[in-house]
Parts: sequence; structure tokens; C-alpha cells
Amino acid sequence: MSHHLVEARELHFTYPDGTPALRGVSFRITHGEAVALVGANGAGKSTLLQHLTGCLLPAAGSLLIGDVYLDKKTRPVIRRTVGMVFQDPDDQLFMPTVGEDVAFGPLNLGLPPAEAQRRVREALAAVGAEHLIDRPSYKLSGGEKRAASIATVLAMSPNILVLDEPSSNLDPRGRRLLIEMLQTFTHTKIIATHDLDLVLDLCPRTIVLHRGIVAADGPTEAIMNDEALLRECRLEKPLRLQFRPAT
Amino acid sequence: MSAIESQFFALGETDRLARQDTPLHRLDGRAKLLATLAFLVTVVSFDRYELSALTPFVVFPVALCLGGNVPGRWLWRKILFAAPFAVLIGIFNPLLDRQPLLMIGGLPISGGWISFASILLRFTLTVAAALALTAVTGFNNVCLALRRLGVPRAFVVQLLLLHRYLFVLVEETMSLVRARALRSCGRGTSLREFGSLTGHLLLRTLDRAQRVHQAMSCRGFAGAMPALRPARFGGREIVFVLGWTSLFVALRWVNVSRWLGATVLGWWS
Repeated sequence: MSHHLVEARELHFTYPDGTPALRGVSFRITHGEAVALVGANGAGKSTLLQHLTGCLLPAAGSLLIGDVYLDKKTRPVIRRTVGMVFQDPDDQLFMPTVGEDVAFGPLNLGLPPAEAQRRVREALAAVGAEHLIDRPSYKLSGGEKRAASIATVLAMSPNILVLDEPSSNLDPRGRRLLIEMLQTFTHTKIIATHDLDLVLDLCPRTIVLHRGIVAADGPTEAIMNDEALLRECRLEKPLRLQFRPAT
Repeated sequence: MSAIESQFFALGETDRLARQDTPLHRLDGRAKLLATLAFLVTVVSFDRYELSALTPFVVFPVALCLGGNVPGRWLWRKILFAAPFAVLIGIFNPLLDRQPLLMIGGLPISGGWISFASILLRFTLTVAAALALTAVTGFNNVCLALRRLGVPRAFVVQLLLLHRYLFVLVEETMSLVRARALRSCGRGTSLREFGSLTGHLLLRTLDRAQRVHQAMSCRGFAGAMPALRPARFGGREIVFVLGWTSLFVALRWVNVSRWLGATVLGWWS
């Protein structure tokens, strides 16, 4: 069985204050797919992402990652498989310097320092940030912070990459560089975002969440041209598609 | 620029100083930490009326500054910033202890004033040494040194994260304060508003703490902060610690100021 498989079956989750966040979410993502997770604020995207990293556990239903079902015991295994890039890089970069931050994961995996160093160099090279290795993370620009936080995850060699709003707070050039960088990655990618133009560039498949359920799951091109669906889910046709006839 | 903001930039300055490359910076953090601890213990071990025997100890922070290329002005401004705390601690001594201890030109000086001066001197020495240590070692390496010397892991992790998120906390505070200032039309902060501001800050802090913890857990955090750099406590470190410690012990038993004064007076008479 592939380590890159993600399968949710009837996932349910309700927050302690009684707010239902997921109300039966099901999907199956296979090896090497790039899937966008879109939906209005409060649609359940963040809750679903937190399930993918085991930060939350399903109240009902199941989540299969690779060949392991998510529960309290399998969390460490799942976290080795899934690399999560947080929305706010300041949440992710907690070590004194970028180099130490990128080494944090590999060292926790129990790798010897020399091997961890090698992974740090490789991961920083993959995001074009080798020069940041000795810089303190709180001094970086938004784009540099984003690159560094992606490197922290790459250094753990995850099979599945999960990104939460990767293009938020980036300037247009930084956003373009990020898109080009993500295109070179061969991991299974799950990208939660409101940036639907980015989805067109990166993800052939889109899952639309609406009020805790999957409202649509299919080819990005078709979903982004379905204006009734987008309106229903409080979304909008990507700018790029607004000025040409639907295909 | 508000006082908070200027302090914020001063924090960055400490890190810049710590990233310099001098022989003192290259020394293992443990050596500098141990020497500083020996310094602190010796300085606070003196009698409360002691002044003259404490003065020679100034040599340690001065040596750290000279060797580590730390500007004296920067150090002095930091000391002044913390000085009100020391003044508050000692200010009542002159009122409580009025026993005259010595006469200067016919003016009796009470024990309270002398112990107050002693508190200020000790404060200056110890704070200068601690600041100079941070400037030549870097806060993170001080933490690492603490851990390698056997300080409990939880304590060191707290210190590290405190330092890292101090910057984020200051940024959050600044944006809250600015947002209030823009709509306050020059009015001062009422107690009610202040309560709401600090309450918000606390809630945001809790939220962030939770997210940071999740980010750490996602990368295999189980309580330990792994260190990338290998530790080396070699000959230079041993010489540094032993050299300074023996000097402190010597200065503890021999009052150099008094001896120097007596010698100079001896020449004159």
C-alpha cells in the first residue's frame, strides 16, 4: 500500500463549545496528487488540516494516512508522514536561527547531527534560502519566513505536504516564486487556500468544503467555472477565468 | 517611537553583538557562564556595608566588554534602564538604618546610606556582568550552556521560547497600542481600556502558544530541544574559568582598594 495515500471516511468533529466543524467529510487522495482545499471562512478547512497532522482526533469516522489509521497512538507515525506548513510562519519558526529551526525536526527524528546538517542544507537549497542558515528567524522578511518554514518541513522528508494558506501575506513576486517552488515538489500536496488563482496553477483537483461537508470534489477547471456552486459556497470565480468564456 | 518600540530594537542589538566573532565569542558558553556565576556569588557574598572591596570586581565586566567588543555606552544604558528596581530595593535603607558609620569632612554618613550605595554598586556589577555575558555569548547559547550544565530541560526550554516570542509579543502589543492610539484622539488609556487591552493580549498569547505547540509537536517535539553544534570544553575554557575564579577568590580575601590606598599613603608620608 502506498505511504502517500490520504483517505477520510465520514469524518466528524465538534468543538468543545458545541460548534460542529466537520459533519461527515469523505475523500481519497492518492500518490503524487496536488489537491486544493477551498471553502469560505469557517467551512472547516483548518479543522480538517489539524486532523491531517493529528493535532485533533476525529470524533467519529476515520482518517487513513499511508497504511495507518489516525488515533492517539499512531500520531507520531502520522507526523513523520505528513509535513504541515502553518499559515503564520511565526508559529512555525521557534528556534533561535533558521538553521537550528530546520534541524529541529530531523534531530527529533533521532538523526545524527551530521546527517541533520546535510538535510538542513538540502532543505534550504530546495527553497532557495541557503543564505539564511545563520539568521535569526524573527528578522526575516515575509517571503523569507515562508521559505524557511517550508524548509523546516522538507527537512523531515515527509511523503505528504500540507500547506495552510501558503500565499497569505506574500508580495506578488514572493507569491510567484512560491508557486514555482511548489511546482517542483513531487510530494502529495494538500493546499488549503483562498487564493483560487494559485489553485489553478498548482492543483489539478479541488475539494470544496462548505459548512463542514464536501460540497464538490473534482477537476479544478470544472469547479472554478461552476459559478452557481462557487456562489453557494461563498467563493468567487478566479480573476483569470472571469474575463474569458467558460470552457 | 514609543518606549516599547525603542526597547524592542535594543533587544535586536544584543543579538547583533552576540553574533560577532572574537576569541571571547568563540569560547564555549559554559566557561563564560561558570565564570559569571562565580563572579555573582562572590559579589553578593560581601558584608552589606562593603564598598571598597567590591570596586576591583569591575575588572570582570570591563574585560568582557573589551574582549568581546561590546560598547560601554550600550551596557551603561541598559544598566540605567534597570536601575529603578535596585533604587527601590535600597531606598529605605537610609531611613531605617541611621547609625553613623563614618565621617567625611565632619559630615556623618549613616550605615543606611552606605548599605544603599553598596546595593547600587552590587547591582551595577552583577547586571553589567550578566549583560556582558549575554552580549558575548548570545542568549541561546547561555540557555544551551545551562542545559549542558544540568539545569532541568523544562526550565531551559521556557527561557528559550520566552526569548524567541518576546519579539512576537512586543509586535502584538505595539499593533494593539497603535490601533488604540489611532482612535483615541489623544485621550489617555482608562483602566477599563487597559484591562481590555491586556486581556486581549493574554488571549492572543494563549492562542499563539497553542499553535506553536502544535507546530512543535508536528516536528517530533517531546520535551527536548536538540542542539546541532557539538560542545567542546577544552584547555582554553578551563584556563578561562580557573583564571577568573581564582582572581575572584583572591579579591574576596584581599581588599585591594584598601591595600592600594594604604600603600599610596605610605609613599606620601
